[in-house]
Amino acid sequence: MSKTSKNTPASSPGSRREALRTQQQARARAAARTGRAVKAAWIAGLTVIALMVGVIAWTLVRAGGPTAGISDSLTVPAGATSGGAVVVGQASAPVTVSVYADFMCPWCGRFERANGDALASAVEAGTAKLEIHPMAFLDEMSAGTRYSSRAANAFVTLANDDPAVAFRFHRLLYANQPAENSAGLSDARLAELAQEAGATPAMTDRFAAQTYAGWVEDATQQAWDDGVTGTPTVKINGQTFTGDLFTAGPLAAAIEAAARG
Amino acid sequence: MADVLGRFNRFRQTNRWIFATMLFSAALSLTASFVLSVDAIALAKDPRAALSCNINAVLSCGTVGSSWQASLFGFPNAFLGLVAEPVVITIAVAALGGVRFPRWFMLSAQVVYTIGLVFAYWLFFQAYFVIGALCPWCLLITLSTTLVFSSLTHVNIRDGNLYLPARASLAACRFTVAGLDALLVGVWLMVILTMVVTKYGPLMV
Repeated sequence: MSKTSKNTPASSPGSRREALRTQQQARARAAARTGRAVKAAWIAGLTVIALMVGVIAWTLVRAGGPTAGISDSLTVPAGATSGGAVVVGQASAPVTVSVYADFMCPWCGRFERANGDALASAVEAGTAKLEIHPMAFLDEMSAGTRYSSRAANAFVTLANDDPAVAFRFHRLLYANQPAENSAGLSDARLAELAQEAGATPAMTDRFAAQTYAGWVEDATQQAWDDGVTGTPTVKINGQTFTGDLFTAGPLAAAIEAAARG
Repeated sequence: MADVLGRFNRFRQTNRWIFATMLFSAALSLTASFVLSVDAIALAKDPRAALSCNINAVLSCGTVGSSWQASLFGFPNAFLGLVAEPVVITIAVAALGGVRFPRWFMLSAQVVYTIGLVFAYWLFFQAYFVIGALCPWCLLITLSTTLVFSSLTHVNIRDGNLYLPARASLAACRFTVAGLDALLVGVWLMVILTMVVTKYGPLMV
């Protein structure tokens, strides 16, 4: 019975007050500790956020920067148009067909499979010349190997020497189009296909230098600036072709019609 | 200044704030799920529905929508959002109207939504690292799912619905009262945004 009464600190009022005070002080210290921890957490958190904002700003600024830098020391392929195209076919051909495409774009592959033969024969017959706008905006879809840029550079490198070879290469690239988000064709495979299209080893050796990467980048930007919003886009004498791009026939008919005037 | 912050922080603990943000985020999520479901149906009807690689779809040539990850359970994932988000909206509206749900109910909601959050982030990381393409509506789902999850967790901590041990419960309460949950969500979302911008930013500008 006395045990409980002993535990209650009723013995002396002074020591009781003191105990209370120590308790309060301990609580205040704990609160201050928590307060400091909270403050530290806020400072750390806000610092991280500020850092991220910095990284984002830096990324965006840098992305805007070097594009302009490349164009200063730009190598323009022979016979390229100011609109960012490589020309295939006779200059005197009455119809100009402009094709905007990215070698990684699966829809461009379908377009090529449907219309490639018709375009090739129109070029051969001299009814049409092709302005091929090689675009490279799907680099993110080749597992880090920048396939769009590599393929476009290879194509332009050939076009600089021999547009006919380049056009055959162009067709082979679509016939062997890698799946979106795969690593794309290797540089060795690109050279192999180029030689199959009639390129000499001396020509394919030049792929590695990425001579026209800057020009391709500018051509891509030029296409967006000219109002192209996606690939494939096809224009006949400057007019966007709005018919079915994925079945053989309609495009060939439109070219015929344009040729008749 | 400190007073304003203090008052805002008290407001942040109220039903009105928590459930209003939950309602808003769930509505965003539902909208995005709806758009993606419509897309998925269009894509199923005609795989050529998106017939080009678009400049604005840096982020994909319809590749995200036609990946196996996009219909993990044999139907478009977005359908799950159509099913789940209206429940969240109902909870939020009812709570704003004064309904108090039993603990077991709120705990179940937390468990189910946590699974949803894990799924949303799995998809985000698949799109980011494996598919290599992002779609804007999918990003909106990542964002809104995070916000719904954080408000649901906040209210469940506040009301002790999680059956946590006393000490953990107290720590969690202190954490949210200090606003650190909001800070954590802010930091997390900034990390995600930075990941997106550093990988795709150069293609977007």
